[in-house]
Amino acid sequence: MKVSFPYMGSTIVYKKLFEFLEHEVIMPPKPTQRTMDLGVKYSPEFACIPLKMVMGTYLEAIEKGAKVLVTSGGHGPCRAGFYGDTHRNILKSLGYDDVELIIFDAPQDNWKAFWRNVQKIRNGVPWPKVINRMYTLYRFVQKLDELEKMVQKIRPYEINKGQTTQVWNEIQEKFDKIKTRKELYKVYEECKKMLLSIPTKEVDEKDKIRVGIVGEIYVVMESSINFGIEEILGNLGVEVERSLYLFEWINDNLVPWALRPKRFKEIIKKGQRYIKILIGGHAVETVGHIIDFKERGFDGIIHLMPFACLPELVTQSLIPKISKEVDIPILSLPIDEQTGKANMLTRIEAFVDLLRNRKKGRTKEVFVNEFQQHADEERVVVV
Amino acid sequence: MKIAIPHALLYYYYFPLWDTLFRELGFEVVDTGITNKDILDKGSKAAVSDICAPIKIFTGHVIEGLEKADYVFVPRFARIKKPEYFCPKFMGLPDIIEGTVEGSSGRIISPIIHEKNNEDISSPKIYGILTEIFGFSHRELRLALKKAEEVFLRFKSLLHSGLTCDKALESYRTQRWEEDLKRVKKDGEVTIAVLGYVYDVYDSFISMDVIKKLEAMNVNIKTFEMVPTDIAYENLRHYRKRLFWTFSNRVLGAGLFYLKDPEVDGLIHVTAFGCGPDAIVGRFLQYESDIAGKPFTTLRVDEHTGEGHMITRLEAFVDMLKRKKWARVSHGI
Repeated sequence: MKVSFPYMGSTIVYKKLFEFLEHEVIMPPKPTQRTMDLGVKYSPEFACIPLKMVMGTYLEAIEKGAKVLVTSGGHGPCRAGFYGDTHRNILKSLGYDDVELIIFDAPQDNWKAFWRNVQKIRNGVPWPKVINRMYTLYRFVQKLDELEKMVQKIRPYEINKGQTTQVWNEIQEKFDKIKTRKELYKVYEECKKMLLSIPTKEVDEKDKIRVGIVGEIYVVMESSINFGIEEILGNLGVEVERSLYLFEWINDNLVPWALRPKRFKEIIKKGQRYIKILIGGHAVETVGHIIDFKERGFDGIIHLMPFACLPELVTQSLIPKISKEVDIPILSLPIDEQTGKANMLTRIEAFVDLLRNRKKGRTKEVFVNEFQQHADEERVVVV
Repeated sequence: MKIAIPHALLYYYYFPLWDTLFRELGFEVVDTGITNKDILDKGSKAAVSDICAPIKIFTGHVIEGLEKADYVFVPRFARIKKPEYFCPKFMGLPDIIEGTVEGSSGRIISPIIHEKNNEDISSPKIYGILTEIFGFSHRELRLALKKAEEVFLRFKSLLHSGLTCDKALESYRTQRWEEDLKRVKKDGEVTIAVLGYVYDVYDSFISMDVIKKLEAMNVNIKTFEMVPTDIAYENLRHYRKRLFWTFSNRVLGAGLFYLKDPEVDGLIHVTAFGCGPDAIVGRFLQYESDIAGKPFTTLRVDEHTGEGHMITRLEAFVDMLKRKKWARVSHGI
């Protein structure tokens, strides 16, 4: 089967998954302006940007010859769970009758459908082999995420600008070629050495700026839609950590509740200080991560959300209150097809300046509030 | 003790229930009144700029209520039918209000409505919070709820017999239940199904009285509340998976029901700018009306929509339907 999938974050992981199951993989191209245009053209106008981008990605993958598209479903109340069906509906009305869209819903919703999907995807590979390979993939994701976290810690202090990003690209290419677990561990050690050999400057602990990125999964994980915010921040000399990594996502969502890591439950508990019940999407986690980042000594938070994202609008409503009570500056950036890079860049630069000044103790609380106010006003004008 | 019920969101559907409940318990109920420019401005200023107009208006009504009463009623709607939910903004409504409206903390009454299958939301479990805060006995609460449920069922039967929500609310206020049934308009030239959530269709500031305008053009109106829940769901059976939001399902189900109804000549989907669930509902309604071959249009409204362009669009749509019907009748098809 010629299989393709939505483009989000470390796509080599998904590619590996289908390669391990002996499918022919049609790699979806990294989203560009063309992807966005295609997606916007055929999607409902008021759908959020992830739906439009994924729509564009599907159409480009189909152009490249994909016959089967695999995606995840959901059971609400966030709209994302219904995207598969909306996409299928659009593809049908565009006349792509020969393209199959396989949607994975949570198994407890419909065991039979889930099992049918699994059998389709398994592609006749014997079970022991599948389990062995899935375990390899699990470790693969873990190692790749560990390296990415290292990259985010090294990039702000590199001496030769752009070197870390270059090494990171090389690492991804190397990981792409991995076939077995033994190989994985070997490549991992090599890559670690590569990263550690990047020359960096010594920065005093009190001059380091750390920013946590929180928000909706697609805009947080996919760099082509958030304008490579991690790289932008890294180049401004800021250490970055996301609230979401693929490995943690797998642990938090695919592992049964009883076996889930304690950290995930703690984050949810922290989030429920402000949002009392789980309201879908990543709203409660976002709030939990904001508090968690503060407790771990981060200096600021950037909150990313698709324009008109339902759960994140609840978070956004709470941000002024949280920012005041938890005492951490938060910059909230809604993203859609109209967002311009220059606008975003200016706001991020101003935010980083604010954080630096605040850390040096030159700013008073008043200034922070003023900044938030300006940010709010600016948003009104821009949108 | 005064309690304010904000005249927004699900007010239009559940007001008779809540009003009776609080009156029976000895509260003085304050209705924050029809949305006006002042309320909208207050709400837009307090709320996040990207949020949809209904939530902004609701925020405005809460601010208004805080000025006029001791407490404001802000229920947290999680689910009234398993396995569905409400829009995440409804689920986090008290949180949104606490985050955006200053001085609301401690003065909003927020029972959690999380029911397996109970559209009447009158089980004592939900309102247990009232006994905790105000010290009512469980018996008092149960009796009040029983009364409230009776009123609500009566209100619902009016809806099912063809009254629109605002007319049924009028009947509730004047207590002239039977007489009002005669007010159902049946002699119009064409029939249009106006589909949309109660807080979009009946808020005179959001939809600018779309129903009254259509009736003035000699049109019979059908809305989703007139279709009983089970019939609406019956029409959704061919979908692989239902939508996640109960009222979206009812709107979509009613839409499909009206598409099959030969009496209905066209559909209008009334939706608020930035409404998430409607981005999906609208897409499905459009797709299904294409297949059924019935005229369909979307009215997307927000706090800036001008009245003139809306009238033009409504007139054009109604004229088209009338002409189509006339052609059909004169050709004897």
